[in-house]
Amino acid sequence: MGNAMGTDIYTLGADIGSAASKCVILKNGAEMAASTVESAGAGTGGPARAFEGVLAKAGLRREDIAMITATGYGRNSFAEADLVISELSAHAIGAAAFFPGVRTVIDIGGQDAKVLRLTEAGVLDNFVMNDKCAAGTGRFLEVMARILELDVTQLGDMDGKAEQSAGISSTCTVFAESEVISQLAKGTPIPEIVRGIHESAAVRTASLVRRMNLVLPAAVTGGVAQNRGMIRALGQELGCELMISPDSQLCGAYGAALHAYRKAGQ
Amino acid sequence: MSRIDDILTQLETISRNPRAQLDACLAAGKKAVGVMPYFCPEELVYAAGMQPFGLWGADMVCDQSRRYYPAFICSILHSVLELGITGKLAGLSAIMIPFSCDSLKGMATNWEVSVKDIPVINVAYAQNRKIDAGTEFTASQLRKIRGQLAEIAGREITDADIAAAVEVYNADRAAIIAFADAAGKHPKLVPAAKRSAVIKAGFFMDRAEHAKLLTELAELLAAEPGDRGYIRVVTTGILADSPALLEIFEENRICIAADQIAAESVDARTQTPVTEDPIIGMAERYGKLEGCSILFDPGKQRGKELVELAKQAGAEGIIWVMTKFCDPEEYDFVPVKRMADAAGIRVLSLEVDRQMVNYEQIRSAVQAFAEMC
Amino acid sequence: MEEKKSAKVILRELQDKIAQDVWDAKNRGEKIGWCASNFPQEITTAMGIQVTYPENMGAAVGAKGGGQRMCEYAEGMGYSNDLCSYSRINFAYADLKECAEQEIPMPDFLLCCNNICNCMMKWYENLALELDIPLLMIDIPHLDKYTCDEDRIRYIRAQFDDCVRQLEEITGKKMDWDHFREVMDVSQRSSRAWLRAIASMSATPSPFSGFDIFNNMAVACVGRGTVAAAEAFEALADEYEELAAKGETTFKGEEKHRILFEGIACWANLRFTYKALQSRGINLTASVYGPAFSFLYQNMDELMAAYAYVPNSNCFERELEMRVKDAIAHKVDGAVFHMNRSCKNWSGNLYELERRFREETGVPTVMFDGDQSDPRVFSEAQYETRVEALAEIMDERKRAKEAQA
Repeated sequence: MGNAMGTDIYTLGADIGSAASKCVILKNGAEMAASTVESAGAGTGGPARAFEGVLAKAGLRREDIAMITATGYGRNSFAEADLVISELSAHAIGAAAFFPGVRTVIDIGGQDAKVLRLTEAGVLDNFVMNDKCAAGTGRFLEVMARILELDVTQLGDMDGKAEQSAGISSTCTVFAESEVISQLAKGTPIPEIVRGIHESAAVRTASLVRRMNLVLPAAVTGGVAQNRGMIRALGQELGCELMISPDSQLCGAYGAALHAYRKAGQ
Repeated sequence: MSRIDDILTQLETISRNPRAQLDACLAAGKKAVGVMPYFCPEELVYAAGMQPFGLWGADMVCDQSRRYYPAFICSILHSVLELGITGKLAGLSAIMIPFSCDSLKGMATNWEVSVKDIPVINVAYAQNRKIDAGTEFTASQLRKIRGQLAEIAGREITDADIAAAVEVYNADRAAIIAFADAAGKHPKLVPAAKRSAVIKAGFFMDRAEHAKLLTELAELLAAEPGDRGYIRVVTTGILADSPALLEIFEENRICIAADQIAAESVDARTQTPVTEDPIIGMAERYGKLEGCSILFDPGKQRGKELVELAKQAGAEGIIWVMTKFCDPEEYDFVPVKRMADAAGIRVLSLEVDRQMVNYEQIRSAVQAFAEMC
Repeated sequence: MEEKKSAKVILRELQDKIAQDVWDAKNRGEKIGWCASNFPQEITTAMGIQVTYPENMGAAVGAKGGGQRMCEYAEGMGYSNDLCSYSRINFAYADLKECAEQEIPMPDFLLCCNNICNCMMKWYENLALELDIPLLMIDIPHLDKYTCDEDRIRYIRAQFDDCVRQLEEITGKKMDWDHFREVMDVSQRSSRAWLRAIASMSATPSPFSGFDIFNNMAVACVGRGTVAAAEAFEALADEYEELAAKGETTFKGEEKHRILFEGIACWANLRFTYKALQSRGINLTASVYGPAFSFLYQNMDELMAAYAYVPNSNCFERELEMRVKDAIAHKVDGAVFHMNRSCKNWSGNLYELERRFREETGVPTVMFDGDQSDPRVFSEAQYETRVEALAEIMDERKRAKEAQA
């Protein structure tokens, strides 16, 4: 352990979300030297813990980092940042690195869902975000999971156990809640309800994608990308394969770190 | 303080304190008449020697209005009704309410049952605007309104009065366009929020005075070097007066090069023709208005105009300030965006309303838009 | 001997024939139109021009379960989910040109009339652009007074004549004004029969389930200028009157309560909304659809005015009066108000309408959230709970009344 040696350039990306803080340190803009995820977002101790944690993991000090780019909901209040970019740009840069050649990135976060269009060169070219409706966002899945007394991370496995789907059609979270409750009362198996919830959320997200015209290949990023049930439902709705990465949660932070590397080189 | 700053501050103060304007007007013994969107015949109020008082709502929480309008009606109407019910508009002698959209069709009734002391003047105009029968119908309605206003004013409104008012309004419209052009070249001297305030002040003050100040402002700005390093955009929509929204534009070095906003340049872009019977000229103006979704627009002239505006202004994109729950805008959005896409002009749509407190999603979207440009 | 067909069968066959006639015309190479439901049908009927009605298609697609799919498709095109679901279904169809639940021939021109709403105008503007076909609109300014004034009548009349001229150019068909007068007469005959059928609901029990009106509406809306429709409605009215005279009804179960249903039906949830009422012995005996499709007039000027008196085009007092009169004549014990997410024009005064209706009739009311063709904004649980509450209040009042007597 010790100081960074030689000509290696380390850059750091911090994605300060509303519910989680994520940091990535990149070595020479290519190798992920360390990463942290803290499940506490802007306005908490989460950002500081994620930042200090990632430095400790990489065995580096603040002054070893050539450049820091912050992104996410709390990007403007992250004092360590040299640069700030929107999470849309960060996700685009990150996704282009995770999934070379990707043209459409569907990012389903806690509060919003967004669809990014990238150029063939991997540059953000256009985007759409969800409107007032929470359906199709992580928030919708959280509320539904709570009614089923499940943790949101269990939804994917639960969906896998379903043989069919219970139709959940309401887009309004409050109405969907009462639909789920009445399905429970009818004795519908929970996996089938979960699948119904995923399909309902997938339809909402798919219509956001269609507003941009789907250009393939497409990838899903954000926390919801870990939910296999949701990915299957969305893929089915869009009629295409969707790429995911085990590190999809880090996509924004990775993109920010890469952005910092490009700026550091200038 | 420079003369430019001086005028900006003066107009900003007016636009931020409409009630003070109304009080001053009433204290001076002048009657005032509320004017709702869209395109009400303000000139007739002016011709009657009264003060037209623009009513586009306010950024506020609405409670009382929810007794009348469901939640899925736009916040412009909700907040105007809320202001009325809570007595914030006391002193107005009447309110002009048109039937321009489906949500507005319910406004007069909701107002009449909840704000008993301010009478309604209904404003109907022809949507088949390009045919003679349309002009005649609009003229017939204007004459009716002229009679109602004369009664409120307690005096006759002569043709000469109307012709004089039309002249004042034409001058102010020209001044607004000249100012908007100048502001588009000087985003540092006139940032987005100030630009909006300057135009908006006209809703609450004597249009002759407004025209004078805006003309002077445009001339002063013309003498200044233009500001560089900004992203030029054209805004479109119904309303874009939220300081919180416009400050996000400023943060991202966005310059409003031109606008197609109903509450800004749309009305100002069309002059009233001078005719022997001034009412006819006013009615003819309805036939010439373009660029707003509440107007019958079978060829989507609005989209063509928008693309043209963007090209002329050398804009890098269009920002569509989408008033939440505004169905005419939501209908227009699809074909008009397609026209912009075809012309290779980027469109960013931001959904806003007057109850909005959290602008984070908008902040991200605007920043990403700026990063793309 | 051939058995006499029931009016219900006649009407269904007539509806199928009307739909087929448009396809046949299209296949013959005639120019056909898409038409707003409250566009003066006298014009097209008299000129022998075939038109079809996207609003009716929107209702049918909703009722057959395709509303959600089509709405979602339109949302993918960029249309907000707040827009009228009939229009969303239609935009999807105009783009896809296919729909499993119902199809209509593609149009060569569009006939718009904004008396029922302004959204009609924006909807048809977009269609005209998308399909690159002519759009003819009759603008009927919202009424600010109880009576339609001379200025409006003159303006509507001028557009009427304009529209005929343009249609002659587009279709190559000529208007025969003598035939026009005949169509006016036949339309009156249909309207009177329709009103007679509706009026039979004042009997106790009402001779039929009020939900049946929803099924017959399409013909009343589009076909009333034809002799076949007039005869069908006369047969319908005769049947109902006969049942009423005998004290019989086709309503399933005992008619314990009678209600007014305010608003467009929730087509996608029609069965559920019906069952929740019927299972509690609640029959629908009043709705604005009664007066809505009866255009009574004696001459051209009155015809113009009639199209300004369609529901939601009037000043509030007239709108209220239509409901109150209907409710009193048809002896309702309560009312269910549909806050229709699709229809801003219908919803803008609905709270006030409910309050005033309650004041003037003295009957209990409930309101629920729903949509004409998009099932995603309807909640079975909410509807059921509210209808149940209404039933309990009506039960209680009935008991109190019986105890008093």
